[in-house]
Amino acid sequence: MKPDRQLAGANRHGSPACAVLGLALLAFLALLSAARAATIEGRVTLPKSRATPVVNQRYEIVTKAGVLSTNPPVAVVYLEGSFPKPATPPVTQILQKDLTFIPSLLPVQLGTKVEFPNLDDTYHNIFSFSPPKRFDLGRYRPDERPVPSQTFDVPGLVTLRCDIHEHMRALILVLATPHFVVTDAEGRFALTGLPAGRYTLKAWIDSKTTREHVVDLAADTTLRVDFP
Amino acid sequence: MTPLLEPQTPRVTGFRMKLVVAIMLVVSGVTLLALYLAQRRLASSVEDDLQREFVAELDALERAREVRHAMLVERCRSLVRRPRIRAAFEDDALDLLYDAAQYELQDVMTAPGLRAEFYRFLDPRGGVIAPPGTPSVGALTAGEQAQLALPAVPATPQVGYLPRSRDGADSISEIIAMPILSSETGEPIAAVVLGFEPFEFGRRVRDSGMRAGIWLAGNVHGIELSAAAQVRLADVVGRASSAPVRLELDRTPHLVFAKRLNPESQYAAAFEVCVFPLTDLLARQGQLRWQVLGAGAALLLAGLAASHIVAGRLSGPVEQLAVDSEANRALRRRAEAALEMTSAELQRSARFSADASHQLKTPVTVLRAGLEELLSRDNLTPEECHEISALIHQTYRLSSLIEDLLLLSRLDAGRLKLEFSVVDLSALIEASLDDLSALPDELEVTVETDFPPGLRIVGEKRYTAMILQNLLENARKYNHRGGRIRIAARQDDETVVLAIGNTGRAISPAAQAHIFERFHRAAMGEDVPGYGLGLNLARELARLHQGDLQLVRSDGNWTEFEVRFRVAKTPVMPA
Repeated sequence: MKPDRQLAGANRHGSPACAVLGLALLAFLALLSAARAATIEGRVTLPKSRATPVVNQRYEIVTKAGVLSTNPPVAVVYLEGSFPKPATPPVTQILQKDLTFIPSLLPVQLGTKVEFPNLDDTYHNIFSFSPPKRFDLGRYRPDERPVPSQTFDVPGLVTLRCDIHEHMRALILVLATPHFVVTDAEGRFALTGLPAGRYTLKAWIDSKTTREHVVDLAADTTLRVDFP
Repeated sequence: MTPLLEPQTPRVTGFRMKLVVAIMLVVSGVTLLALYLAQRRLASSVEDDLQREFVAELDALERAREVRHAMLVERCRSLVRRPRIRAAFEDDALDLLYDAAQYELQDVMTAPGLRAEFYRFLDPRGGVIAPPGTPSVGALTAGEQAQLALPAVPATPQVGYLPRSRDGADSISEIIAMPILSSETGEPIAAVVLGFEPFEFGRRVRDSGMRAGIWLAGNVHGIELSAAAQVRLADVVGRASSAPVRLELDRTPHLVFAKRLNPESQYAAAFEVCVFPLTDLLARQGQLRWQVLGAGAALLLAGLAASHIVAGRLSGPVEQLAVDSEANRALRRRAEAALEMTSAELQRSARFSADASHQLKTPVTVLRAGLEELLSRDNLTPEECHEISALIHQTYRLSSLIEDLLLLSRLDAGRLKLEFSVVDLSALIEASLDDLSALPDELEVTVETDFPPGLRIVGEKRYTAMILQNLLENARKYNHRGGRIRIAARQDDETVVLAIGNTGRAISPAAQAHIFERFHRAAMGEDVPGYGLGLNLARELARLHQGDLQLVRSDGNWTEFEVRFRVAKTPVMPA
């Protein structure tokens, strides 16, 4: 597992335990740096898992009647609003390892550049036909330099596929906000370092289901929001 | 003989004719039946062979088609699993669909062999997703393209047939609608329809002349047939029989086989129609018929010749038989006439003998009585007495002769019937010997006997005794002085053999054949008294006893007769 270098709030490659740990650490840092920042904690009620979770958990993207979600289900909670674009575009990665994408669900801020390193000993061919970002990286091997990457400029859901390995699937949720977090498998989340004000808090559960909740954030407060 | 045969010849000829006709009828009947059966059998076997050939070709075609179909389906299945095609549907990128397909289906559109002619995608409702104007999807008219649509996206591959006009010629495309399944749920989300050139379309299969076409919506494609033939074919297609059907198409008999090409397909029903002209069969059958007829004619001619010969052979003996039987009839008639005459004469002579004997008996008795009376007178000289005694003796002889003649006449007339009983032959011999010894014996003959007591035979005692007496008398009469007589009897199985032999001059071989004839007295010399009736009578009587009398030996100084009697099984009745 590679360290997450760039992005505050970026998840930790699919491991909820790590993600929670990371979130806590980040929240603590945020508290130190911006003492006036607000926090939202809560829980998203997730759909029932369709498979028994395995120990070494990975999310896989499943389609049910055209609805994409992860299995086991997790949600992405984000604060919608008008936020300034980052000065330098954030960079993150989706790995291709053991014929899967890691992570398989990646929320990114608008303008983020995502690199797709190939860690397998075989060709991969990543492409997307999704309206927010259509691209085709062509076939490449692990030694491909520079690492093929794409910058996501349009908010929305992008499905990543490999033309060679038909089962490989990943979702990139492009969001117009820097404030987002992936819940753990129980749906628990904590968003820290939020600005005060009236916002809409959204929980992306699958490609067709996004719940929202209007929140009034005050400085130095912790708000509890549970999505039913 | 010939004059006798004349009237018979037409009858024999008639018989021969009838025989010839009968044999001809049988031969012709059997030949015709055999020919008919052979022809039928051969014809059906030829037809069976042809049908088998047809079915074998159909099977081969079917297998090849199945292999090809499986390959096509597998190919299509691999196409619809391509991620770009799925992505176009799953990621809401239908605008990229045909572009992606151009890349993904490139090989199937250009590959030699199972090259696709065109492809189109169906949306989830089964409607055709119109392609952009790229030529790579394969050209279809709007009407043709519309026919690719289905009521809904199918869950399984659907096979259909699309009539097309290819370069102005009537043609057809085989289409396979392959569902595009969701990569996760396996449910159909869309479909791709690929068009291929149909298998063996319109091609003559092998050299047998079988043609295969495709029946679609009331029209047959790939086989040139008149409208009337198509109508007749429609009937066979409607029946969808699994066995080939014999059908007259365009004035030529054909074997026709129709099989649904796309069972349970959502596309319009299409049938494979295989047409197998039977001209070859008819030619072969015609040839066979002529061969069989020729063979039959030859066989019939041979049969006729054979029947003629057989009839000739058979009628020959019959003719001979007719001739013989006619000759026999003539002979018999003559013999019968002669027999009748003889019998009448015999009867007459027997009656005469009997009458004569009766008429003679009385005067002899009167004569004897007179002589005896004369002898009783006292005034006779010894010479006179001797003369009269001799005369009386002669009357006895005369009486005896008359008795014998009477008996013979009765025998001849067949009127003498013996009343059989059991006779003790041994006792009878003893009695006869007693009588014999009572006679004056001038010759001093000795008598030897050799017989067991109680020999029982079947006979009538009176006549048995007569046989015995006659023989004994002969044995004494024809003896010489100091000679001997031997009487032997023994039982030999079912017969009792009585042998009476005597010394004396033998009967000459020439005379032996005649000794049993009436009034034959051999060359015995006139010194021996007798009339030559005894042996004849004895033999007749012996035969009436169902036995016989034979001369067994007469040579040197010994003559021996042998009488055979039947042995009586039951004990002697008290006499």
